[in-house]
Amino acid sequence: MDLKDKLVSSFLAFENNIDVHNPVHDVRTEAIKNFETKGFPSKKMEAWKYTSLNSLQKIDFSIFPKKESSLEYKDVKKYFIHQIDTYKIVFIDGVFSSNLSETTHDGVDICLMSSALTKPMYKAVVDVYFNKVASKEESLTTLNTAFSREGAYIYIPKNKVPKKPIEIIHFSTGNDAALMLQPRNLVIAEENSEMQIIERHQSLTSNAVLTNSVTEIFAAKNAIVDYYKVQNDNDSASLIDNTYVDQKDGSHVKVHTFSFGGKLLRNNLNFYQNGERIDSTMKGITIIGEKQHVDHHTLVHHIEPNCESHQDYKGIFAENSTGVFNGKIIVDKIAQKTNAFQQNNNILISDKATINTKPQLEIFADDVKCSHGCTIGQLDEEALFYLQSRGIPKKEARALLMYAFANNVLESVRIPELKVRINKLIANKLGVNLGFDL
Amino acid sequence: MAYTEQELKKELETKEYEYGFYTDIESDTFPIGLSEEIVIAISKKKNEPKWMTDWRVEAYRVWEKMKEPEWANVRYQKPDFQAISYYSAPKKADPNKKLEDVDPELLEMYKKLGISIDEQKKLQNVAVDIVVDSVSVATTFKKTLAEKGIIFMPISEAIQEYPELVRKYMGTVVPTTDNFYAALNSAVFTDGSFCYIPKGVRCPMELSTYFRINQAGTGQFERTLVVADEGSYVSYLEGCTAPSRDENQLHAAVVELIAMDDAEIKYSTVQNWFPGNKEGKGGVYNFVTKRAICEKNAKVSWTQVETGSAVTWKYPSCILKGDNSIGEFYSIAVTNNYQQADTGTKMIHLGKNTRSTIISKGISAGKSQNSYRGLVQVSSRADNARNFSQCDSLLMGNECGAHTFPYIEAKNKSAMIEHEATTSKIGEDQIFYCNQRGIDTEKAIALIVNGFSKEVLNKLPMEFAVEAQKLLEISLEGSVG
Amino acid sequence: MLKIKDLHASVEGKGILKGINLEVGAGEVHAIMGPNGSGKSTLASVIAGNETYEVTAGDIFLDGESIEDFSPEERAHNGVFLSFQYPVEIPGVSVTNFMKTAINESRKAKGIEDMPAKDMLKLIREKSELLEIDRKFLSRSLNEGFSGGEKKRNEIFQMAMLEPKLAILDETDSGLDIDALRIVANGVNKLKSKDNAVVVITHYQRLLEYIVPDFVHVLYNGKIVKSGTKELAMELEEKGYDWIKQEAAV
Repeated sequence: MDLKDKLVSSFLAFENNIDVHNPVHDVRTEAIKNFETKGFPSKKMEAWKYTSLNSLQKIDFSIFPKKESSLEYKDVKKYFIHQIDTYKIVFIDGVFSSNLSETTHDGVDICLMSSALTKPMYKAVVDVYFNKVASKEESLTTLNTAFSREGAYIYIPKNKVPKKPIEIIHFSTGNDAALMLQPRNLVIAEENSEMQIIERHQSLTSNAVLTNSVTEIFAAKNAIVDYYKVQNDNDSASLIDNTYVDQKDGSHVKVHTFSFGGKLLRNNLNFYQNGERIDSTMKGITIIGEKQHVDHHTLVHHIEPNCESHQDYKGIFAENSTGVFNGKIIVDKIAQKTNAFQQNNNILISDKATINTKPQLEIFADDVKCSHGCTIGQLDEEALFYLQSRGIPKKEARALLMYAFANNVLESVRIPELKVRINKLIANKLGVNLGFDL
Repeated sequence: MAYTEQELKKELETKEYEYGFYTDIESDTFPIGLSEEIVIAISKKKNEPKWMTDWRVEAYRVWEKMKEPEWANVRYQKPDFQAISYYSAPKKADPNKKLEDVDPELLEMYKKLGISIDEQKKLQNVAVDIVVDSVSVATTFKKTLAEKGIIFMPISEAIQEYPELVRKYMGTVVPTTDNFYAALNSAVFTDGSFCYIPKGVRCPMELSTYFRINQAGTGQFERTLVVADEGSYVSYLEGCTAPSRDENQLHAAVVELIAMDDAEIKYSTVQNWFPGNKEGKGGVYNFVTKRAICEKNAKVSWTQVETGSAVTWKYPSCILKGDNSIGEFYSIAVTNNYQQADTGTKMIHLGKNTRSTIISKGISAGKSQNSYRGLVQVSSRADNARNFSQCDSLLMGNECGAHTFPYIEAKNKSAMIEHEATTSKIGEDQIFYCNQRGIDTEKAIALIVNGFSKEVLNKLPMEFAVEAQKLLEISLEGSVG
Repeated sequence: MLKIKDLHASVEGKGILKGINLEVGAGEVHAIMGPNGSGKSTLASVIAGNETYEVTAGDIFLDGESIEDFSPEERAHNGVFLSFQYPVEIPGVSVTNFMKTAINESRKAKGIEDMPAKDMLKLIREKSELLEIDRKFLSRSLNEGFSGGEKKRNEIFQMAMLEPKLAILDETDSGLDIDALRIVANGVNKLKSKDNAVVVITHYQRLLEYIVPDFVHVLYNGKIVKSGTKELAMELEEKGYDWIKQEAAV
């Protein structure tokens, strides 16, 4: 049976374990119908021209974990930003782990999607937000919606700021030979609130994992949301990350995506600017090698006037790796005075690596400033020689230049410990000890 | 008699498309519709050898199974391919005619087009081949060219006179199976130009083809084949016009350029097909496949000024096959009223040290949609490939759209690719500044647009640049209130 | 030559000029001074016909004729020249080409034929020497990548080319070093005649040392609150604008 059929037939089994009378279930039923009609996207579709899911569909993934697992904090501590205190929402094979987590209801709700979807006290919020910005057409998003049950639920009321950053970590233990996970996150920042989130997916063995994640973010008037995605998984783990952001007047949402590991990574990052004076920022660093494949698809839809968007993606591609960047900016007719900027710079350091990039502008308003730039190139040989002539060995010199190339993306990271962590990951990925703290 | 308000308005409206006259020439037109029989009939009418007929039939069979492409960013009523007449020749045309024998009405038409043949001959040193409704009617300067061994003639004649040459190269750059319109063209093309520059010859004059659709309800499917042999050089100009008509006319041409080792081809187009009227009615559907192949050290540059057509679908491309070959694409695309253009280029880097440059300037006004679509591809063997692309859009008014779809695919680590794009509008402050210096708004816009397009206009041969500049002004007239 | 009567103007409903009265005669140099935000640049723009500003009351006369309904280019054809505080960039259009267009458009409006290329060349040579402008500069795109000083010098060069009846210099001194200031001022002085008039708008007295005004007006809060001779400018330089504000407040 192919994966699509398996998923569709598993939906019945899924229904046995949930409350089918909950109105949320109507949303799921609609969604599975859409997925059943459309199936997995193929390379014939423009949005999937450069990324194939064929080989993944051949793997016999378990749709539900066979048994519950537990982990000791000391064994997985290194995956947390443990230098600082954080709220933690942790899942093991898709199941919430209370002993690794630190949730709260103290003025803010940092807890579980499963509670939010079932408990009456959350109903009012869920009715307003759940599946409201996520696509009802895109097949993988609807697949996730159909199976939506667990994930992080974060609700920050008006004028509130949580005391510390929030970490969301999804572990997979490898108890199943191959496991498919479909986490669903809902993040709501009410007027003038602020929060920082770090999300990570981590497989602990070399067994295959496919995660099809959907995150909905709602930023109300003047809210600030910083979302950091750390993608440094095993080379047997694949991730399709679908993020939808709905922004209102004066809100600022930044999403940073650091892609260093994993077999296949596809990021669908969609911003909808439903208000004025909005600022949307998307930044990413991708450093991959071997046969890794990272695909960033961004969309910024400028719907109202006087807004800005900034995109800056850097990629370094080694060995047989493939990078894809597709950045789409749409400026509606009424969205005058829009400023939209997009940069995508890439370095290929192997003859076998490939980069496909497609920055795309669709502009319907005349009084706008929009630009995109993209480059594909190499390290500056002269700069390399300069560093070598100052006594820095070639390997280190190359790493230093690559670091410098990616560095400005890091400047906007507002959690210092995370910045240090990412720096280390970069140094590690570039295969050098730079000998100084970056 | 007093001029009524109505009449005045009417005259003003028709003035918009200067070349929108219709010349009453008796035509020899086929019944409408397309079938294998029609394809064979076209071939027969032209007295073609069997290989040519077979080639057409094969293309027709391929086409029959193909679907019209839908990926471009254009919306239009699909042409009814059975409602078009696939052959229409001005009746008085005779392949053996001399210039003096040409139908005086035709000559009158060329005058209206601003290309009086005599004048061209004397003043501009341009050899012209004119194609009206698919049939080539006059080629000037044939003798002068023949002395250098240059062949420049209607492709229908070339098929008769130089069958080996045509057979050797036709379809090698754009195969019959390439795409829907290319297949259609291969099946039904009635004429076009053929040009061959022998080894080491520098063509002493600009070669030029003027295309015109005259007859109603016809399609124009011309085919151009330019072969520049080793170390040769040619500059080729192409101009297009059509009368204003309410129904849509179809133009599906194929242009193939072959630049052999060390050869250079400069191909310039000023396309001014009827764009449809103010309400978006009528106008030419311009679905064109243009491609060049560059061998070692060869260079091809495409320069185009696109102001006409209701719908344009066109991507002049370069396959940079040989080491050190160079491809260039300079384009200005203007859309106004309800025009739609989806145009750009493909630069396929296969050889080592290949270089390409893309400069695209899109100007959208009225309710038009203007898209740039481009592909820069660097294969794994193409060491040290270089590309620079610059796509700028200028928006006028708030009901038009500008879109860019650049695809960049690199598989070689030594590739250096730079792509930049900007979108902007004509600033009120710029207009006021011009006004203050005594330049009215209409003129100010023309000035600013010309400045915006300068990098591309500079690439055109002199006599074309002036025409192009004038066209830009006419196309944008009345676009800002 | 220029007569402004009870001129009121506003932008987006906000009143900026609140009753300006001013008369400038042929052969005169007037300076309009005032603190930031007093309406100096607005006055210049309104005289030139910038439609961003709405004239809510009053009128402007040029040689006795109301120019209220004239478009900016018609005003230019009638001899009004504004040297912009922030000259606008027009990429791809050379200074020469721009000037050629401007001159011929003005001639067309007057029913005169285009200026012959030979005369144009001569005129350009003559005027660029006057402003000590390098010929290479003339082939560059209009104001694009020009330094502040180059932009201002280019404005005065255009003024020289167009030979206006009434020249309004809006903060022409801002951003100029002393050498450039001298060149610009020299240019203006050479262009001055008994038949034309110059209105200099400035915040500082510095420029007025070079272009000596016959009259000085102080603009504050949309009105001319004080008029005098060049001594007034000196006084302002010494005391600043605060005393004017206090006087106006009384």
